[in-house]
Amino acid sequence: MNVGDQSTSRFPWRSSGKPAWTWIAIGLAVLVVLVGAGSSVYDWACRSSDFGLPRSLPADGAKSNEPWNPRSPGSDRVHLVSFSLQDPAQDRSLDERVTNFVRRYCAECHLIDEPKGDFSLVDLSFPPRDADAAESWERVWEVLETSEMPPREAPRPTDEDRARVTALLDQGLRDWSATERESFGHGSLRRLTNFEYQNTMRDLLGIELELISNLPEDPTRQYEFNNTAEFMLLGPEQIDRYWENARRAMASVIVDPEAPEVFRKTFRFDPIGAPTTGLQQDEIGVYGNRRGTAADSMRIQQFPERGEYRIRIRAASILPAGVTEVPLQLVMGTTLRHDAGTGDYFPVGTIHLSNSVDELETFEFRGRIENHPREVGSVTANGQQPPSLVITAQNLWDNGELNDHRQGFDTSWNLATPRVVLRELQFEAPVVDAWPPEHHRRILFDSPLRDTDPRAYVREVLSRFMSRAYRRPVTEEELERFVRLYDRLSPELDSFEESMRETLALVLISPQFLYHTVSDGEVVSTDDELASRLAYFLWGSMPDDELLGLASDGRLNDPGEINRQVERMLDDPRALEFTGNFVGQWLSLHKAHAVKINQDLFPRFLNTYHIGERRGQEISFRPTIRDYMQQETVGFVAELIRANESVDSLVDSEFVMVNEPLAAHYGLDGVQGLRLRRVALNAEDRLGGLLTQGSILVANSTGSAPHPIYRAVWLREAILGDDVPPSPAEVPALVDSAGDAATEASSIKELLRLHRTNESCRDCHVRLDPWGVPFERYNSVGRYEPMRPPDGTRIRGFQVAADQDLDGYRAYLDSVLTVPIDAASEIPLGRSIDGMDDLKRFLLEERRDQIAENVARRFLTYGLGRPLSVRDRATVHAILDETRADGFRMRDMILAVCRSQPFRGVDQEGHER
Amino acid sequence: MTRESWRLSRRDVLRGGGLSLALPLLQGMNSVARASCVARPKRMVVTYFSYGAFMPGSRDGQPIAGQEHDAWNWWPCAEPGELTFNESSAPFAGLKDSVSYLRGLDHAGGYGLGGHSSGDVFATGADMSVSEKTNNISIDQYAARVNGHLTRYPSLVLGTEGGTGSYGQAKTLSHYGPGRPIPALHRTQEIFNRLFRPYSNESIERIRARLAREASVLDLVGEHATSYRNRLGVDDRRKLDEYLESVRSIEQRTERTTRWTHEPLPEVESSSLNLDAQYEDPLEYTRCMYDLIFLALQTDATRYVTFMLESEQSTSNEVGKFANTVLKYNGQTHDIAHKRPAESGLWDRWRAEQHAYFLQRLRDTAEDDGNLLDHTVVVWGSAHPHSSHSTRNYPIQVAGGGGLGLRHGKLHAFEGERKVPLANLFVTLLNAIDAPADSFADSTSDMSELRG
Repeated sequence: MNVGDQSTSRFPWRSSGKPAWTWIAIGLAVLVVLVGAGSSVYDWACRSSDFGLPRSLPADGAKSNEPWNPRSPGSDRVHLVSFSLQDPAQDRSLDERVTNFVRRYCAECHLIDEPKGDFSLVDLSFPPRDADAAESWERVWEVLETSEMPPREAPRPTDEDRARVTALLDQGLRDWSATERESFGHGSLRRLTNFEYQNTMRDLLGIELELISNLPEDPTRQYEFNNTAEFMLLGPEQIDRYWENARRAMASVIVDPEAPEVFRKTFRFDPIGAPTTGLQQDEIGVYGNRRGTAADSMRIQQFPERGEYRIRIRAASILPAGVTEVPLQLVMGTTLRHDAGTGDYFPVGTIHLSNSVDELETFEFRGRIENHPREVGSVTANGQQPPSLVITAQNLWDNGELNDHRQGFDTSWNLATPRVVLRELQFEAPVVDAWPPEHHRRILFDSPLRDTDPRAYVREVLSRFMSRAYRRPVTEEELERFVRLYDRLSPELDSFEESMRETLALVLISPQFLYHTVSDGEVVSTDDELASRLAYFLWGSMPDDELLGLASDGRLNDPGEINRQVERMLDDPRALEFTGNFVGQWLSLHKAHAVKINQDLFPRFLNTYHIGERRGQEISFRPTIRDYMQQETVGFVAELIRANESVDSLVDSEFVMVNEPLAAHYGLDGVQGLRLRRVALNAEDRLGGLLTQGSILVANSTGSAPHPIYRAVWLREAILGDDVPPSPAEVPALVDSAGDAATEASSIKELLRLHRTNESCRDCHVRLDPWGVPFERYNSVGRYEPMRPPDGTRIRGFQVAADQDLDGYRAYLDSVLTVPIDAASEIPLGRSIDGMDDLKRFLLEERRDQIAENVARRFLTYGLGRPLSVRDRATVHAILDETRADGFRMRDMILAVCRSQPFRGVDQEGHER
Repeated sequence: MTRESWRLSRRDVLRGGGLSLALPLLQGMNSVARASCVARPKRMVVTYFSYGAFMPGSRDGQPIAGQEHDAWNWWPCAEPGELTFNESSAPFAGLKDSVSYLRGLDHAGGYGLGGHSSGDVFATGADMSVSEKTNNISIDQYAARVNGHLTRYPSLVLGTEGGTGSYGQAKTLSHYGPGRPIPALHRTQEIFNRLFRPYSNESIERIRARLAREASVLDLVGEHATSYRNRLGVDDRRKLDEYLESVRSIEQRTERTTRWTHEPLPEVESSSLNLDAQYEDPLEYTRCMYDLIFLALQTDATRYVTFMLESEQSTSNEVGKFANTVLKYNGQTHDIAHKRPAESGLWDRWRAEQHAYFLQRLRDTAEDDGNLLDHTVVVWGSAHPHSSHSTRNYPIQVAGGGGLGLRHGKLHAFEGERKVPLANLFVTLLNAIDAPADSFADSTSDMSELRG
């Protein structure tokens, strides 16, 4: 997605969110923590479980060591950590220091038959002997490193002890993973994601056809990347649709020899004077001879089935004082009914106008006619009428106050809204500046062979196309098979072009195209695989000619060359594909769209229909504040990568990336227009970093109130990189404090009662809730709101009769919001934190390495297209060691990831594996 | 000009998407098809509604002792035995002898999924949290594998949202097997065309020639991929088997389609349907979908249908606002389930009305000496009860199949000592429709209560 400009994004406002019901259940514990603060959770848990062990174990574990005896005397339910004595080469003292520590501090809960948190240390040896053991020890390391364990009420090690054992665990795990990495092969075979497929088809064919919508949706999971073998399954439906797409694409790419008929249509609009009324909802703000004309009448009835189109417009703007530009978007498809919100269309492009009517300018748009939905013709006395295409011009101007149109609001401002003037629109399709077009000649190139030896020509065409489609040189055998396919098809088909279309379409459903390139030690080299891995990591698409060339020369797999290529690729516009996809999945941004905003409490936030049967629903035909919020976050991370800023900026930054509606929302002055830009911050803005961005705060709220549990889960999963287990299925939802009454079945009392009987909730929530509380001063729509009403007072929503206008409502709010919000909490075994600034400070001071490690892991996971395991520990730490000195800069991290051994497919000595 | 664009795509002809392929028993299809005109078809429909149903005075879908049965409880009555109907279930009062309510049933395989994710396994019973992470074959596809060759379409997979959705967020009930969800169809006109106008304007001869070419090309593509497979490592080979099997399936589907080009299409007039029905009008839309199912069954275009009336993750799209539109409620549909007793009952009642309309239509349609409902078993339910995110004790109603040995008119309670897996019901239903099964998913036996 192009960050600063809607013209290249595909219906950004249509992206459908997937709500996370799972987390609702987690909500409960807020109550537990608040109510149960006085009693000791741990004591209660210990009393209620029945272990026959003294609370404290002998401090000196070495004396009581009984290797290989899984049961300690005096208890038949407690197991001992076993030793790896079989291997005399191993350092026993290392074993014992870890083992004794575990026995002393962990045994009570994790060396029993029904271990707490379902985490058992029974029969675990150290150093680890296999991946399972290593994973278990990694978990131990994590909870010790973050001081989450042992729990507060249990016997606790000294900081020194803890540090020593943590270091031992870390060293042991790294050593293990360094040797283990050797035996761990490359990423396994996985098909292209739909996102990768769409981009690959674009770069392979040289035209952008919208193909994703014809594919079954790819699975996703919160906070995970879906470009893995586990997610990328393939079934008959996919093959079917890949084939359909391939044929559609080939029909567009390979044209018939004779130049086609060109269809043209021109619309002209004569002005009748300046606007006299305010910007209306059903007006697109485009001036013709009368309001709305330009939108209603631009119907194209004659156009080709496929091909490139060109639209030229002569346009200008009418700008009130203080406004510098107005955005104009063209869409084409079925009739867009602004009142009903119906219409099926695809964007043509967006421009930003600042010229006046006296200086009309010409603007040109190009696109593929295939991408635009057609309006089915009606049935008349003459039979079925042909389909048509309707072009709609939209004024996308948005100062963040569009919903002030709501009945009862002050509308005087909107006489001073900027207008778009559209004088002329020329439609032309197909574009035949050159025939056949470039994309055709790229595949069916000119060659003397074409006439002298048609069969050799077919071979040559196939060879070039397949080598690009397969992202590596095609083999003689593969080529031969496709020549045979051509032989099978061509006698039955009408033309050479048709035979080539059908044959090449089959290339596009072969596994070498649909699956990621995997080196096989024979025909596919590690360099080939690396070229693809780089390209799909940083562009979400196939490697370009430069990468393929380097790979086939065997010059790519070299740290210096990789650096050069990565820098080049990150500077390429295609890198925006990477940030959009990566950031969206990493931070689970789509959730923001699924949150139902309480419009009574937040009357200005959403731009809604204010008339008609859809009154009160969010307008569907233009980007919304939530789309801009998503762009803000993606654009922010892209900016950090571009400017090679430290991961610290994820937590707190001195700038934001905003446009006018976002700036208005956050209360920043001086930002005009829809294009995102970097804006410097002051401390009193209370912004900076990801934690205060609307996309995050809205996604992790209820729509009426902030939700500390959602926000805590987000912070721990996305920023700290913790794995937060989902709540048990039986847990009822947290009742929304600002929402409606609970039913009898889920009254607060009932919720608490259920929780008291559910020990597992407590164990998790004690470690979860404190992270969400510091967000409390940021409200459900992501604005800073430090006050709340007194207990027992419910905020009422906006009411026309009572408030008259938004200022009136604000005055009401000020009168009831009288109590400062308590955003203080205590991080488990950490320090007390009061509010967002304090949280950010804490994260930067105490959790910086953890955050950097999380970011490194995210890049590596996404780049490799597989989940990391404990085997990757050494790699992750190598990346961190390389980038630590400069403060973990984002671009440096990406470079280090691309130079890492698993990414390159080499061993420690740089040899291919 | 764009005349071409009216033509249906190849997939329309090959009835991909929701009109699923079976792994067919192709031999002698014609004769079997003819013979089936004599034997009355035995059919099955599985429908699903989301967010559970309203059950005040109960916990995890089971009544709390001593609580009065609420007039708006989804369960028509409290006590097992003869059915009496309350406000929520009133639309079924006239169908009493054709419906049974089964309390206490669920899929253990869905326990580990979140309350709003267990819908994934409603028709499969797969153990998704432990051993079958990518789900498994659904009951309709099991039947389609056995009998799918008897009809033009082995099965029909519908939903109100279309597509497959994601793990934990399914928008379809049907799965061929692990990792193979079948995309649901949701556009009424498209469903109608695929069922009853599959060839559009193309001549049958041309279609046959094309299908023959495609079959032989696919054969070569499969060979090609097999040779590529041999260069891969063991794990990757297994991964590529997904691909090979898919290509083979398409090839078989192509052959199957060719055979059915020799059979006449049923004559169905689209004027009997409101195919323009859009989401904005949930009543018309839902009825149209039910009407399409009815027509598909009546014309014996298929015998197995699944229909996901809402997905559990609907709030982000138009369909999720069905409840809002119908009830003029301004909160999330999800909230209706969790904390809005008044709306919740009304919403259940509305859904009951639509389903009762469908059952009534089947029963009002004569077939041989009985009616369509006699030879059609219809499951209607959800994968969790109300208000909690419990994944136990689903609301389940079974209807029809009176001519297939099922007996109705009662509420059966499978609670406490009598607890059995929901899959037991599946075994009984499969056997009733001549898709013999000794077991299905985690079943322990069949469900004799329904036959007695």
